[in-house]
Amino acid sequence: MLRDKFFKEVENVQHPNEKLVKTHCSYCGMQCGMNLRVNTHTNKIIGVEPRYDWPVTVGKMCPKGVTAYQQTNHKDRLLKPLIRDHAELKGTKEGFREASWEEAYNLIAEKFTNLQAQYGKDTLSVFSGVSMTNEKCYLTGKFARVALGTRYIDYNGRFCMSSAAGGFLRSFGVDRGSTLPWTDIHETDCLFIAGSNTAECHPTSMFRVWSVQERGGYLIVADPRETPIARRADVHLDLKPGTDLALANGIAHLLIKKGYMDEAFIQLHTNGFQETKELLKLFTPEYTSKITGVEVEKIIRAAEIYGKAPNAIVMFARGIEQQHKGVDNVSAYTNMALITGKIGRPFSGVATFTGQGNGQGGREHGQKADLLPGYRKLTNPKHVEEVCQVWGITPEEMPKPGVSAYEMFELMEKKEIRGLYLLCSNPAVSAPNLNFVRKAMKQLDFMVCADFYLSESARFADVVLPSVTWSEDEGTVTNLEGRIIKINKAQEPIGVSKPDWQMQVELAKKLGKGAFFEHLKTTRDVAEEFRLASRGGSADYYGATWDKIDQQDGVFWPCRSEDDNGTPHMFLDKKFYHPDGKAKICALPYRPPAEETTMEYPLSLTTGRVVYHYLSGNQTRRIPFLHDMCPDPYVEVHPTTAKAYDINHEEVVRLYTKRGEATYKVKITEAIREDTVFVPYHFGDEDSINLLTIAALDPISRMPEFKVCAAQLSKIATKENGNREEETVY
Amino acid sequence: MKKRLYIELENCIGCRSCLAACTQCGGHEQRNRNYVYDVNPLISRQTMPLMCLHCENPACARSCPAQAIQIHETGAVLSALVEKCIGCQNCTIACPYGIPKFDSEQNLMYKCDLCIDRTKDGIPPMCASVCPSNTLQWLSEEEIATKKSQFALENEKWVSSMPYLEGGTNVKINLPGILQGVEKLF
Repeated sequence: MLRDKFFKEVENVQHPNEKLVKTHCSYCGMQCGMNLRVNTHTNKIIGVEPRYDWPVTVGKMCPKGVTAYQQTNHKDRLLKPLIRDHAELKGTKEGFREASWEEAYNLIAEKFTNLQAQYGKDTLSVFSGVSMTNEKCYLTGKFARVALGTRYIDYNGRFCMSSAAGGFLRSFGVDRGSTLPWTDIHETDCLFIAGSNTAECHPTSMFRVWSVQERGGYLIVADPRETPIARRADVHLDLKPGTDLALANGIAHLLIKKGYMDEAFIQLHTNGFQETKELLKLFTPEYTSKITGVEVEKIIRAAEIYGKAPNAIVMFARGIEQQHKGVDNVSAYTNMALITGKIGRPFSGVATFTGQGNGQGGREHGQKADLLPGYRKLTNPKHVEEVCQVWGITPEEMPKPGVSAYEMFELMEKKEIRGLYLLCSNPAVSAPNLNFVRKAMKQLDFMVCADFYLSESARFADVVLPSVTWSEDEGTVTNLEGRIIKINKAQEPIGVSKPDWQMQVELAKKLGKGAFFEHLKTTRDVAEEFRLASRGGSADYYGATWDKIDQQDGVFWPCRSEDDNGTPHMFLDKKFYHPDGKAKICALPYRPPAEETTMEYPLSLTTGRVVYHYLSGNQTRRIPFLHDMCPDPYVEVHPTTAKAYDINHEEVVRLYTKRGEATYKVKITEAIREDTVFVPYHFGDEDSINLLTIAALDPISRMPEFKVCAAQLSKIATKENGNREEETVY
Repeated sequence: MKKRLYIELENCIGCRSCLAACTQCGGHEQRNRNYVYDVNPLISRQTMPLMCLHCENPACARSCPAQAIQIHETGAVLSALVEKCIGCQNCTIACPYGIPKFDSEQNLMYKCDLCIDRTKDGIPPMCASVCPSNTLQWLSEEEIATKKSQFALENEKWVSSMPYLEGGTNVKINLPGILQGVEKLF
């Protein structure tokens, strides 16, 4: 289904003594189709072959995807559980000894039980991630609430997708990352892309993006940097970091003023227009230009193009979402579609570029502090009752909502949380304000980390459990379209590593909660329980059986029954998910970044990805090709700014904020604003830019403001011989 | 149906997936044989791939004193034959695009063979299979003819390079500027 002009029938190369296992990439939300090449004598993964038959990506892969298979049998894989008996070595790689599963489980059960006996149930916490299957995400929520009985569970989506979720819930009443399938993108007439470095972060979207322009359609990009996609845009709105809300309001102001709104749609299908119209009066192009730093003419041109376009898609990503007003930014850009009625039909809509592989599915099924499977709410007694029936507990036994990811570190620092079970995440690199976060992890009484490499975060653990890579287990993932897809197992787990769900089932038994978990013997058992648990929720997966996923190249949720084929396009009936069926146009006053630039800190620091690395880099920094292409972080500086600071290309400089400092090699480029510097965030230890970032949280999504804070640069004094070894910091 | 590698330079995003993919072709021994250049990194993010153009009368093969560089019946100019290559590096000097690479340990030239174990059966080479931006495409003669007519303009301001510049090469290439003639939809 949904095959388009890019789809070509191509046979794969089949080498002797090899089989191909159809699956998807381990990394971002694109979830590109791929075939893993498996040697049929050794039963090991040995390579990759394009998956031409996957309708979304038709064989295409970025360099991370091409080399993803090299993770599985990598020399750095953890093969056995590790225990460290010397707490003073926390934060280092030292002191671990190999142990059996039995010993590791017994130690965890003993420590967790003792901590809870002494300090109460909620002294334990679970910090999870969404680069794993729906089945694992689902079971992690159950593990925290039923096996550990703690309220404190949250996940790394708080650093990724939570603002998109918050914005979509407010605007539409439902949080599906894209209102339309990706196969619509190249058929639209205008793409308005804000805060997405698409060419580096979601490269396999690019053939569709370029195709819009080749057909004569328009590309508008809002980004402080002239990224590869901005370079070719018809209009590049080169705004100051952290001013998206003003830009979105400014565009909406013009859409109304110039008569591009769809009055019938607004009246029949939305609420909040009058109030928003009043607020938007302030956002004249001149006023918007003053806040954003974007020329008036560009703002007018962008609004005219979007307004005139018969069909248009508004797309955005972490650039607008990782702000302390990320939810408002999402709703404000979504307003553009609602005011003009460009939604709820093919080739028009709104989409976010989901960052993590299962950023969509992983946030729907109960890893979030306040949510239960199927996007149910912990604060809704009916929802709690429904999930309790599946889990076999009473509503009184269900823990209350906890706190968000960053706030859990605050509770660790206050000793309200003393134990941590960390999986599928590396917050020692990816969390903001790392000096604080690393200190909080270091002072935990007891920490467990499940990972397949010894990540920077694993170094803080007392027990490290060896989990499997994506290629050694099966299950479903929900890609950035909202399409549920199937990941297939290509190889048996190496060493004694195990999938996370299996560890949790076995640990639950040690914790005396075996009765709630021991029926889960295979991934499919978990999948069946998960489908049931999501049934009736807004993110209903009940009808998305593995067979159906296979037959129709994935299933778009909601998919409520076995006869339901899923929902590729949302809102075709113009029914939104708020109780009155209407969408909400939101009146959103502008707020500046939490930390504005000053004389002392005159530069805006923004952070992001490069094409060669994924998230904290724990996986990609170990892959030789990716490492060679981008071995170290750097700071991008505009030549005018570099001149003012008397710094040169490739010179090492000190970059600092109120929270921390680091040294980086300078990369001079005109493709950035003069008032802004950029550093990629994939690097660990003293190279982490998150030592400098600010933990200003969005009031709704609790997303930290990774994308803007105030910083300063200083030159590092060099002796005349220029030998860097002898450089000193002043 | 014969297909060719077609290069749309304007589309390149510099992801270097083509380099990674090149290492994955069965006969490539994990070494990539292509290049991607930053055009002027101090100014912009513009990048361009540099691929073997598989000349119809290739300078590399002509310059080889040992007949180590064979031309496949599909037109692909193959990597040096291990048993014939004498390591003289004439080819690396002769090639106007600097394509052949030299392995000094093996005393052997190696270059793009257009993934001959794929393209001999009509399967796209690895680089064009994975290219996320459609800079590298694997197109039929008809599809290339469509591209030619699409980008050969009569407005005198701009004539797409494709019908003229690259002459006798099996790979077809289109220089930046393809959007100049696109009529906007509205």
